[in-house]
Amino acid sequence: MQQRAQDIIYTKQPYIEDVGPRRIKSIQFSTMSGSDILKASECQVHLGQYYDANKKAIVGGLLDTRMGAPNKHGTCQTCGGSFTDCPGHFGYLNLVLPVYNVGYLSTILDILKCICKSCSRVLIDEKLRKSYLKRMRNPRTEPLKKNELMKEIVKKCSTMASSKAVKCLRCGYMNGMVKKAGSVVGIIHDRSKLSDGYLEECKSAIGHTREARAPIGLATYILNPVKVLSLFQRMVEVDCELLYLQGRPEKLIITTIAVPPISIRPSVFTEGSQSNENDITERLKQIIQFNAKLRLELLEGRRTGIKYLIGWDELQAVVTLYINSDVRIPLDMQVGRPLSGFVQRLTGKQGRFRQNLAGKRVEFTGRTVISPDPNLKITEVAIPIHMARILTYPERVTHHNIEKLRQCVNNGSYKYPGARMVTYPDGSSKMLTGNYRKRIAEELKSGCIVHRHLEDGDVVLFNRQPSLHRMSIMCHRARIMPWRTLRFNESVCNPYNADFDGDEMNMHVPQTEEARTEAFLLMGVQNNLCTPKNGEILVASTQDFLTSSFLITRKDTFYDRAAFSLMCSYMNDGMDLVDLPTPSVLKPIELWTGKQLFSVLLRPHANVRVYINLIVKEKNYSKPNKEHKKERETMCPNDGYVYFRNSELISGQLGKATLGNGNKDGLYSILLRDYNAYAAATCMNRLAKLSARWIGNHGFSIGIDDVQPGKKLVDEKGKTISNGYRHCNKLIADYNGGRLALKPGCDATQTLETEITERLNKLREEAGDVCMKELHWRNSPLIMSQCGSKGSPINISQMIACVGQQSVGGSRAPDGFIDRSLPHFPRKSKTPAAKGFVANSFYSGLSATEFFFHTMGGREGLVDTAVKTADTGYMARRLSKGLEDLCVQYDNTVQDAGGGIVQFLYGDDGLDPAIMEGKAGVPLNFDRLFMKVKATCGAEEDEYLSPSDISNIVQSLLLKHNGTLDGICSESFRKSLSSFLGDQAKRLECLMKLVDGVEVENFDNIKNVEGRTGISKNTEKIAQKVSGITEKQLEVFLKTCLDRYVWKRIEPGTAIGAIGAQSIGEPGTQMTLKTFHFAGVASMNITQGVPRIKEIINGAKRISTPIITVELEHNSNVNAARIIKGRIQKTVLGQVAKSIKIVMTSRSASVKVTLDMKTIREAQLSLDANIVRELILETPKIKRKLQRINVLEDGKLEVFPGGDRNKLHFELHSLKNMLPAVVVKGIKTVERVVIAQKKLDDAENDHGGPKYNMFVEG
Amino acid sequence: MSSSNIIMFEDIFVVDKLDPDGKKFDKVTRIEAHSQNCDMFMHLDVNTDVYPMFVNDKFTMALAHTLNLDGTPDTGYYTQGGRKTLADKYEYVMHGKLYQIQEEGSRRATRTEMVITFGGLLMLLKGDPSYVSQFELDQRLFCLIRKL
Repeated sequence: MQQRAQDIIYTKQPYIEDVGPRRIKSIQFSTMSGSDILKASECQVHLGQYYDANKKAIVGGLLDTRMGAPNKHGTCQTCGGSFTDCPGHFGYLNLVLPVYNVGYLSTILDILKCICKSCSRVLIDEKLRKSYLKRMRNPRTEPLKKNELMKEIVKKCSTMASSKAVKCLRCGYMNGMVKKAGSVVGIIHDRSKLSDGYLEECKSAIGHTREARAPIGLATYILNPVKVLSLFQRMVEVDCELLYLQGRPEKLIITTIAVPPISIRPSVFTEGSQSNENDITERLKQIIQFNAKLRLELLEGRRTGIKYLIGWDELQAVVTLYINSDVRIPLDMQVGRPLSGFVQRLTGKQGRFRQNLAGKRVEFTGRTVISPDPNLKITEVAIPIHMARILTYPERVTHHNIEKLRQCVNNGSYKYPGARMVTYPDGSSKMLTGNYRKRIAEELKSGCIVHRHLEDGDVVLFNRQPSLHRMSIMCHRARIMPWRTLRFNESVCNPYNADFDGDEMNMHVPQTEEARTEAFLLMGVQNNLCTPKNGEILVASTQDFLTSSFLITRKDTFYDRAAFSLMCSYMNDGMDLVDLPTPSVLKPIELWTGKQLFSVLLRPHANVRVYINLIVKEKNYSKPNKEHKKERETMCPNDGYVYFRNSELISGQLGKATLGNGNKDGLYSILLRDYNAYAAATCMNRLAKLSARWIGNHGFSIGIDDVQPGKKLVDEKGKTISNGYRHCNKLIADYNGGRLALKPGCDATQTLETEITERLNKLREEAGDVCMKELHWRNSPLIMSQCGSKGSPINISQMIACVGQQSVGGSRAPDGFIDRSLPHFPRKSKTPAAKGFVANSFYSGLSATEFFFHTMGGREGLVDTAVKTADTGYMARRLSKGLEDLCVQYDNTVQDAGGGIVQFLYGDDGLDPAIMEGKAGVPLNFDRLFMKVKATCGAEEDEYLSPSDISNIVQSLLLKHNGTLDGICSESFRKSLSSFLGDQAKRLECLMKLVDGVEVENFDNIKNVEGRTGISKNTEKIAQKVSGITEKQLEVFLKTCLDRYVWKRIEPGTAIGAIGAQSIGEPGTQMTLKTFHFAGVASMNITQGVPRIKEIINGAKRISTPIITVELEHNSNVNAARIIKGRIQKTVLGQVAKSIKIVMTSRSASVKVTLDMKTIREAQLSLDANIVRELILETPKIKRKLQRINVLEDGKLEVFPGGDRNKLHFELHSLKNMLPAVVVKGIKTVERVVIAQKKLDDAENDHGGPKYNMFVEG
Repeated sequence: MSSSNIIMFEDIFVVDKLDPDGKKFDKVTRIEAHSQNCDMFMHLDVNTDVYPMFVNDKFTMALAHTLNLDGTPDTGYYTQGGRKTLADKYEYVMHGKLYQIQEEGSRRATRTEMVITFGGLLMLLKGDPSYVSQFELDQRLFCLIRKL
């Protein structure tokens, strides 16, 4: 007891019960009232001056040192702190009269709309008020909902006042409409609709005063800030709550300005004694001046009457500009140059938020021009020594690295493998610039941290803007190199979308071991070879690498022992072990082929366990044609069938399809899937080195002789072009004579245009084909286009043969002059040359007109790229912002940040799109995998299975795995796997039947029966060799399938929202802006590309080209299709009427409509006068004017106008104009229906005639 | 051992056509030939730069799994040395791998295709199944040619 008594200490301090740490229940934000500002300020600012004669800040002026230290030398008078310590203090500035705060003007307006302008109570009646209050007080309502509720109340009150004056239920005051004043910042109380005698009373009252000369808007009552302030002050707390106001409303009106501390508006001294003041300071000076002027006016106000109001307006304007300099202010009040207000400081790209607070300025970065270096590995980046000397990494000293770091410290910060700073375990640090370095180096102990220069192998992040997808920033290993550019292997150009025409790139150095590890594992180049968009490989060989691979693997490249060995040592600087293969040609001389070199490249020596199996059809693969119906496969005469079998290049000339990016079964993709990223990366490295050296020796260049057309080509081109021109001229003549056969859904001009365009495009193609045929295989542009490294056949034929049609906006060159494109041509000329066809090649040179047309086309391209960057950038940003929070949870659902489930299973299969192997996002490519298993896992001594055995074993194996399969594999995957194996078994069965024409027998049977003829046994064996499979192979195949599938599931935590957004946003930037696609028939273009995506993302209700394809049930009958067309397409009365005329007799006047019954019958529209009558009566606009309609006979109608007899003549004419537009058949919005003949497949062609479907536009 | 054990197939061929699909390569010609004894059909890429061939040339072509006259299997690795080999008897020798066996035709008239690659120079040998049965997939083979 005694002890406890001692614990109690008696003091004068109020007793505070100790309840432990407090919880913050809520935070409320509000504006500062005038008194709050006074409390928070340190001094009054009332002088609009900066310095006195001694260049000292004036006390009470805008730069009063009580508001903070003015510069590095001065101190704060309030807290005594220096420039770096003192955060600054506020001052205050009393305004003579209150003014509105522009930022709150709309809130003030809303409140004023709701309250009575006399008694400050809410205008809505008591019952409604109570119910609203109850809803507003509901603790479970979210702030967003409350805001909506407040808007609702405001709307209710304003609609009440908008139509007529509202009488306040409490005081009886008549309230008018409240609205913003037009030109100035102010509020008008419109009481013009008042119907009581107040107005007259007022008028007469004013009439008696002396200033009656100026009747300033009596009905419209300007609500000045003083009035509003008093209204707000009188507002009841309950009403504030009802209007969802957090604090008192009077705080919304400025009575006192808080003068911000000097530190946020520093003055800058230019040379001499001139000082440059901040915009805010200058504005405050203006405020003080206007304030003083207004005070003077007020003092003398009694004599000048209303004059002070002008001064008040000026003050209002200048305070408004102080806050937001974008607000429009009457011209006469604007003074001096535009100064930025607070709003301008904060908002926008250059504002405080986006520029500074959320800005992305970091240390340990570098930026410079990039250049290529094929000798670097794909995971490396060469960093100039200059950069390496500035960028550092803090490395902790251990006994492993102490000697290295000692050397670094010794070298100091200027000599390359040096260090800039040493940090000791006690937290102190020393810069290594002086000559005390030696001592520091000697005293270096474990636990110190040395900020050493960047060295080889350090982890750096490498980035190029625009960072549109995650591969735009990847992690590389540093290689410190001389010179001044950042260099990397060209294979990595693709993910960055970089070229070396002066591009610059950024580099960042992670500063901790954790950051390095994370960067390396998540962002490393070797872990980002694929795009998560669709699993295609992104880091792959480009340009020269493709060209040299193409040339090396040509069928007729042979190397002798010296050359072949040299090339083998190119691949890895001669540091690798290489098993020289047996030469392909042993006699008469030893010769190796280029293909053998590639086998060496993939698998240099026997200990490299990489067995690649793949089949790729390159560009120049000769597809089956009339002569050779069968697939030629490896025997392709052009050598376009690339076949790797167990890392041996069997056939095929390598090109972009095999080595390039954007392919799912290219060489690198398969190395990556079947082996690992390391295997793919080393292979790319080897190829880069080999190719760079080989092409350097071989030489690859382009010259004028590469684009010189031969004589034959010139002749053929001349012939083709004159042929084409003749054809076009004939078309034009037909058009002029009106003999042109119209295309469905087109008029004559359109038909002509499409036909000519078609013909001219064909012309260019023909010329190009001739040109490509004539080129020698050593022609450099040809080689480049064949292997896919650069350029297309079109580019080549443009250089050599013919540039072709220039188009602007999807059609031929438009008319820039009256009825012609250029004054060089006759009017209305539609010849190819007059409409922008360039018959010359770039080699032969363009004529003046051709050149002009070419620039027209070129400019469109330029404008397009300029516009699309902005468009697609914004689109990408919106997508990212919309999807950024979606990610996969541990239960495999996709959720947003609020926990809302977006998908129960990501993509409905829960698989990672980045590692899908098959086309169209299928997890595995069974065919390839099966081939690989069969090739790598040789049959040798094992017995082949019979088809029935195969299905048995598959069943049993699947059953065995069933336990693991359940819940892991999707149903569709399991189904596709078993159906694939079923197909394999079936194929073998077919083959066996085919071979010996007898039923397939059990394998045991064959073995046992010795009596069977040798030949039959032989054939069996061959069949097995062709497509047999052993049990082991089957087992391995199934196991790899299942194992791989399990690894392909998406990891929980993957930010799939961001991936999705990037996967749409990034390709968007690559698209051309205005791609119009020909939807099959007759100028039915559909919007595509960026505009279409924009439509989809915006959720546009009215899309620009709505087209529906209609499949017909009876699709072989044209007449049926025509009938349906008639029913769907909009048909107006004008189209089916023979005549619509005004008939005036002495007794009556009417409009007589005669229907063209013949046309109607032909078009099978099933219309007659009675139906038309009903339809006219249903048309609302006409209906109003009508008196009655008489049907005379089956094709004639009489329409009598109603209404005023005086206006009869006008009525008649307006009727006559309106009647042709009456829709008599079809859907109002459907402008056009086109019947199209379906493209026929071979199978369909056999039975029945042509098939039709329709395109409906609108 | 006699060379007959090493040689798995031998016949006399006559060149029918050069470059049946048109000339594509400078140094390599695809020859189309047929055999006289076994009714075999052959497409063969020959390095005509070092061993020219023309239409109606008659030559003997042998396929062997090793060049060692004692029949020891080929190691797959090239060994130097001037030992006596099977190649001595021929003018043009290539080394390659059998990678594909295919069936063609139906019922009685089945023909079997063998495709061999000699470092990209391909050989397609089409004929009666009985000649093919002794060949295995992925077998290393030597193609030996001598003009008659």
